Parts: sequence; C-alpha cells; structure tokens
Amino acid sequence: MKFSSNHSLSALALLGLALGGCQPTLDDTRPAANAGPLDFTSYVAVGNSLTSGYSDGGLYNEAQATSYPAILAQQFAKTGKGPSAFVQPSFSTARKDGSGYVKLVNSFVNGVAVAAPVQPSAANSFLGEQVAYTGTNPAFPTELEAYTGSQPDNLGVPGISVLSADRTASSTGNATVDALTRGAAAAYGTLNNFYQRLLPAADRGTKDYVTYIGQKNPTFFSCWMGNNDVLTYATAGGVASASNPFSGLTDTTSFGKGYRNIVAAISKGGSVKGVCANIPNVTTIPYFNTVTVAAVLASYKAAIPTIANIYVTARTSATTTATAARAATATDLLTLTAQAYIAANPGVGTSPAAPIPSQYVLDPIEQTEVANRTTQLNAIIAKTARQNKLALADMNTFFTGIAQQGVVTNAVNNTATFATGNLFSLDGVHPTPRGYALVANEFIRVINSYYGAGIPSVAPNDYRGVLFP
Amino acid sequence: MVIKKLLLTGGALLLGASAASASGFQVNLNGQKNNGMGGVGVALSLDQAAMFYNPGALAMVRSNGVQVGVNAALARNAFIPESGGGQSQLDNKLVTPVNFYAAFGPKEGKWKVGIGAYTPFGSELHYASNWEGRYALTDINLRSIFAQVTASYAITPQLSVGAGLVMLAYGDVDLQKDVPLSAQSGAPTPHVTLNGKAQKTFGYNAGILFKPSDKLSVGVSYRSQVDAKIKSGDVRLRDVIAATGSNFTATNFAATLPLPATATVGVAIMPNEKLTISADANLVFWSAYRTLDFTFSGNNGYGPNAGLVGGSTTSSAKRFYQDALCFRLGGQYQVTSGLTVRAGGFYDMAAVKDGYITPETPDADRIGLTAGFTYEFASRFGIDGSFLFEDFLKRSQSQADLLNNGTTDRVAGTYKTTIAVPGVGLYVKF
Repeated sequence: MKFSSNHSLSALALLGLALGGCQPTLDDTRPAANAGPLDFTSYVAVGNSLTSGYSDGGLYNEAQATSYPAILAQQFAKTGKGPSAFVQPSFSTARKDGSGYVKLVNSFVNGVAVAAPVQPSAANSFLGEQVAYTGTNPAFPTELEAYTGSQPDNLGVPGISVLSADRTASSTGNATVDALTRGAAAAYGTLNNFYQRLLPAADRGTKDYVTYIGQKNPTFFSCWMGNNDVLTYATAGGVASASNPFSGLTDTTSFGKGYRNIVAAISKGGSVKGVCANIPNVTTIPYFNTVTVAAVLASYKAAIPTIANIYVTARTSATTTATAARAATATDLLTLTAQAYIAANPGVGTSPAAPIPSQYVLDPIEQTEVANRTTQLNAIIAKTARQNKLALADMNTFFTGIAQQGVVTNAVNNTATFATGNLFSLDGVHPTPRGYALVANEFIRVINSYYGAGIPSVAPNDYRGVLFP
Repeated sequence: MVIKKLLLTGGALLLGASAASASGFQVNLNGQKNNGMGGVGVALSLDQAAMFYNPGALAMVRSNGVQVGVNAALARNAFIPESGGGQSQLDNKLVTPVNFYAAFGPKEGKWKVGIGAYTPFGSELHYASNWEGRYALTDINLRSIFAQVTASYAITPQLSVGAGLVMLAYGDVDLQKDVPLSAQSGAPTPHVTLNGKAQKTFGYNAGILFKPSDKLSVGVSYRSQVDAKIKSGDVRLRDVIAATGSNFTATNFAATLPLPATATVGVAIMPNEKLTISADANLVFWSAYRTLDFTFSGNNGYGPNAGLVGGSTTSSAKRFYQDALCFRLGGQYQVTSGLTVRAGGFYDMAAVKDGYITPETPDADRIGLTAGFTYEFASRFGIDGSFLFEDFLKRSQSQADLLNNGTTDRVAGTYKTTIAVPGVGLYVKF
C-alpha cells in the first residue's frame, strides 16, 4: 500500500494551481542602495598587492577580476552613482596568467590523493599557465608584458611600500641612506616588475608612485598602503637585505611623510572623499602559522626518535641584530617557505651546528618589533585619515577577528587556516577571492557608516575559496 | 608541502522538514472532513478519522465505514538573503499526503475497532540551485506513514474512551546540500546526500469524549512521541574533489528525529441537528527536539580514516524547538440531506524560535483558512472535498542573531511561505 506519492494527481493539481498557485513575493525591505553624499563616477584604488588582487603568489587576470576594488566598484555602481567602468591593468588574453600563481598539485600516497602547493617556474613549464614574462630583457628577467591601456583605476602595485612610493619620504637622518632610498623610490619603475609594466618606458626611471597616482582625478578613492613597510621584513624572517633599501621596517618619520604625500596626491589635498585602511597584524596570517616548530620536530622524530629540540637562528637581544643558534620554542614562528627549505636541506634544524636560518624564523624579539611598528604606523594612518576627514577601515581589528574566530558566511565557515580555511590563498599572505569579498564588505560597512551611504554588500559565497585538485 | 589535515568545515548536515501544514514539520491533513473545518476533531465524531483525532470518539461514530482521502499540498516559498543576491524560490513540487481509515462494530453496540494509516509528519522542499543557503540545504524529503489499530468503548451513551497502538510503519529522509569546496578543474560543487529509512517504532494515542447532551460535546486526546531512528542510512557523495577525498570517506550515517507528542482539548456545540461548531486547542511538545545529531561510519576508500563527512565523524546542529500551541475553529452545516458544507480556520504558532530558522523548516506563525463539503448519496457513499490555504507570517533572522545563538550553520534572511492544499476523500458506510 502506498500512502504517499509524487505522481501527479492531475485533477487535484490543477485545482491547486488554480486556487493557490500564486507565488508569494517578498517585498525587499532591505534599504535601497544609495550613495549618500558620495560620487563614485571615478573611483580609484591606491595600494599594494592586496589592492591589485594578487593571490596565490601571483597577479593574474582571474584574481584581478575579484580584487576588492573591483568588487567595490561593482557594488558602488548599484547606487546609480557608480563608475560605468572600472579599469584594471589586465594582462592580454594569451598571457592571462600574468606572473603565474601557485597551484595545489596531487600526489598519491597509498592511493590517497595528497595535495601540495607548487610554485610555477620555467623548470615546470609554469604549470601550464599562460604567463606574461617577456623573456626579452636580460637585465630584468622578471619583466612582464607592458600594460598599454589608459591609466587604470586600480592602481594597486604588488610589493610597493610607503617608503618606495614616495621619492621624498626617506628621512632617517642618515644622508647616505636617505639618498639611496629616495633614488630607488624615484626609479621604482625599474625595480618592481609590476610597477614597470604600468609605466611608459620613458617614465620608469623617474616617475615615483606618488606622482603616478597624482595623475588621476578621482571622485572617490580608497587607499590601503603601508603593509609592505612591515610585511617585507616580517616575511623575510626579520632579515633586511643590504642591497634592498625597502626590506627593513620603515621608520615612523619616513612613513609619516610618505603616507601624507600619498593621501595628499590622491585626495587632491584633502578635497576628494575616500577611505583609508590600516595594516593588519602580520603575525596572524597563515604564512607564519602553518609550519610550526612542533610539526617540524614531529616530522624529524620519525627518523630520529631521540630528538628533543629543533634549532633555529634567532636574535639574541632586542638592541642588536646579532643572532645565534638556540633551541626553538612554540613562540618562534616559522615561515611557510621554511617547509620547502627543510625538505631541500634534510637535517637542517636538528642540531645547534645546523640551525634553521634566520630568514625562515620570526622569533619573539622580531615579532615584538613588527607588532610595535605596526601599531606606530597605524597611528599615523589613523591621524592622517582624521585630518583629511576620510573614513578609516580598521583592517587590523578585522583580520585579528578572522584569525581568532573565522567568519561564517551563509553556513560556510571560513578561517585563517592555510588552504582549507578558504580565506587565504596558497601564498599564505593574500586573500582568496572569498577573502577579498569579505574585505570589500568591511570597506562597504565602514564607508556606509562614515558617510551615511547605503552601498549593498556582496554575498561572499559567490566568490571562491582555494581551488583543490 | 603536504596538507596533512584538511579540516573542511562548513556547517553540520541538517535534518528536519517542512512544506508542512502545521508547526515544525507536522502535517495536519488526516481527515478530509476535518480538513474543511480548520482541523478540529477532538470533540467530534464525524467519521472514521476520529481514530486519529480522538480514539475515544470512535465508539460514538454511528456507522461502520471505510474511507480514503488524498491531499495535494502545493507549497510556495520565497527567500531574500540578508546580504547580496535577490529573491530565491523553491522548485515547487506537489506533495500528496494520504489517509485511510476503516472501522466497524456491532450496530447499536458499545464498542468499535478500527485500523488507519496517515501521514502526521512530512516535508518536501527543493531549493533553487545556487541559492544562498545551498551549503546548509538544497533539498529535503521527509516522509512518514503511521499505521494505527484502535479500540473505542462507550461506557455510557454520554462517555466513551478509546486508545490506539500507533506504529511508524514507514519513514524515510533524503537530505542534500552542497559542500563549500571548489575544484581546480571547474567540476561542479561537491554534493552530499543523506538518505535513510527509519526503523519501525511504536507509540500510542488515547482520548475521551464526553457528550452530556445532544447539543454539547467535549473531548481530550493525547498522542505520544515517536522517535524516527535511522540506524544505517546511506551517505552519497557526488563530485568529491580528489585532494579532499580523505575527508569524505563515510558511507553510512545514523540519526534520530523526534516526532513529538500532541495534547488536544476541544469543545463542540450542536445548536440544532444541522449545525455543528467546534473549537480545538493543540499543544505540540516540540521542545523534545533539542539537537540534530549525525554519526557517520564506513569507508568508501577515499582515505585512510573511516566515517568522515567534511573531516568529521559526527555533526550536531542546534534546534531547540519550543512547544507550540495551535487554536482551531470550524463548523459544518447540512444544507440538504445529501450536502454538507464546512468552513474553518486556525492560528498555529511556530515551533522554531527566532534566530533558529533552518532552510529545511522555514517555520513561522501561520494562519489557515479552510472550506469543504460532503456530498452523500444513497445514505451510503460519499465524497468529501476540502481546501486549505495557509499563510505563514514573514520571518527574518539576521547574521547577528545567528552569531548570538551559535546557529551560523544556517542562512540569514527573510522567509515567506504559503501553502494551498486541495483534498478529496471517498467513503462508504454500512
């Protein structure tokens, strides 16, 4: 006996359709999109890799399309006062994968697929990606296909810092250092392949970023600068390179000068409305929390059951850059790159004679340095925003919240865990498209609250997390 | 680098139901005459369906008879997410709850026995693909068929009692959702289906009908809770991404869903022989439904560790339902010797608390309006027609509500549902 069925009981169904077939419609009671006092006709985004859409260790068209400025422009447009077009410096179709990007690749252990990130390189044919390296400039082997369109609205340049953006910023008091740093900032178009491709060849040796962004006439802008003034140092394990003037922690005087110049250039002296964002706490990103001391020790235990410690090269005191080998503790943060280094150098870290090198270790002294400098630079960002009457997106607090408890979006739990957390891409530093969507929503929240606008947020689940093979 | 532990999160798998015509995932469509009268019945002895509404009333039903009824529930549901996207709807499907009753006893005798089958719980919802809540739920189909044997005895012409042994004769559930993982290959989003049959379990119902005069009757009834236990349902996986396979090894699941007890009191007045007016109040003990817990087991060979769905061998989702009241009012009028017409309505309160709404039970306070008729010929055969229209009050929950309640395994937004249920029944009495 069958008591319930889906067979169409046609007469009943027809009766039902006739009598009750009307679909309920909900009045969309969400506030209508409105720009408030803002005009998004020309929205311009100033920033570094985070602004460019950089993800999975590279800049490529797909990632660029989901950069937070692109998402913001799309949402701004819903107010009716938005940009009709938002120009991004994309790569040509045949070279759509730009600088190439890290991918997860499966290997099979006992028939079970295990994914590992693989860096594209000439040796592995760039994983089949359609990269944009020209290969024609021996003096600059990382040269990328030049961008030839009109000046983009997304001015994000991967790698750029406040110090390297302004040829007048460096003010350490050491004339030699300042001259070198300022010169490098002026010629930044010959040092950074992502900046180089944006500039006409004639400008590459002379036009600094502040001048470049000053060419735009925005009606609204976002500015998220300063990350690399601490991040470059931190991701290098707290080791500054002697040959790179932008590899240390930027001092507050230089930063203040540079940051104010950047904001003045893009806001036309404070007359254009916009939003600034501050620097997240870099030590909470997966780059520093995926390879742990305990995990390295455990992996060595399999081969050397008696091993009690692993050894790292760490700073000996906060007042000197001198380092020495010592037993690692749980408070030492190893970089994501340490894993590949250890794999390539078996036995490294097993004895004080062969410690893990300093550039793979952010020890507690360096962590404190980075955290303190981040706080100082964020104070400058906040003050500059306040003085120019600009909204301030507190990305430091936002990312700290994500690191602590993740973000749940329509039943999907996103966390700061490497790869599986879905918010950070495979470089451990930059967000995935979904992470960028959350960043865009935070910008929208801040802009709405500061300017009394009603820009609708996006559904983060419409943007992908990490792609698994 | 080896990703040793892919802890794929994304909310627990959900079980539950709706398109139900009463609070939670109840379906109160168990007698065609009652359906036309706002669902009243505990103080009435209209026909053999009394064994569901009040087994105590069965002995007061004048004739023996066999009857069958079928309903066509057409749910319409709309959802607007809190952020992003527009309105999404259900892929509408017809659900057809059925009821069957047969009872006999000696003419003018004091007792009566009967058998019945009906569907007091059930739900089928299919959300549009790519809707915002797809990682919580895409489809649900919950079905239950109860069978009952009943005995009823009239102690005096004014007082009768009755009881039934109730069996969950058939129950099955099919739950589906997408897994929030993306494939490099661009393959479709992974999808999990939980499909299982409930074990046969027993409960009871009992009731008393008191009829002090020809013009008044009162009734009380109680229906016990029955737990739908799925011991070994199937876990079916589609489009699992190779690198994440070791987190999706389960082949089976176990879960228990409480189908709660109901207590009802009611009164009916018969001012004359042709007119009956009745009012009922139901209390459904939904608070028995606290959490929905799944345990996964088995190994499909995708990885070394058995019993994983999304990297976990169990899942638990908060329900915390509340007891729900429903007030019903209905009447019938005999127009001619052959034709009786009916009308009624009810106000049914939600079992799901604010901030706990799940896509599988977009429950809300609801208002129902009903109408019905019976046409009888030769004093022996009859046809019952009924129609119910139910309007759920619009219900919203925000992301902040979900965070406060720890119920982020569901979606923030606004739900609105309406249901139309035409039904028809046939009976013969002797």
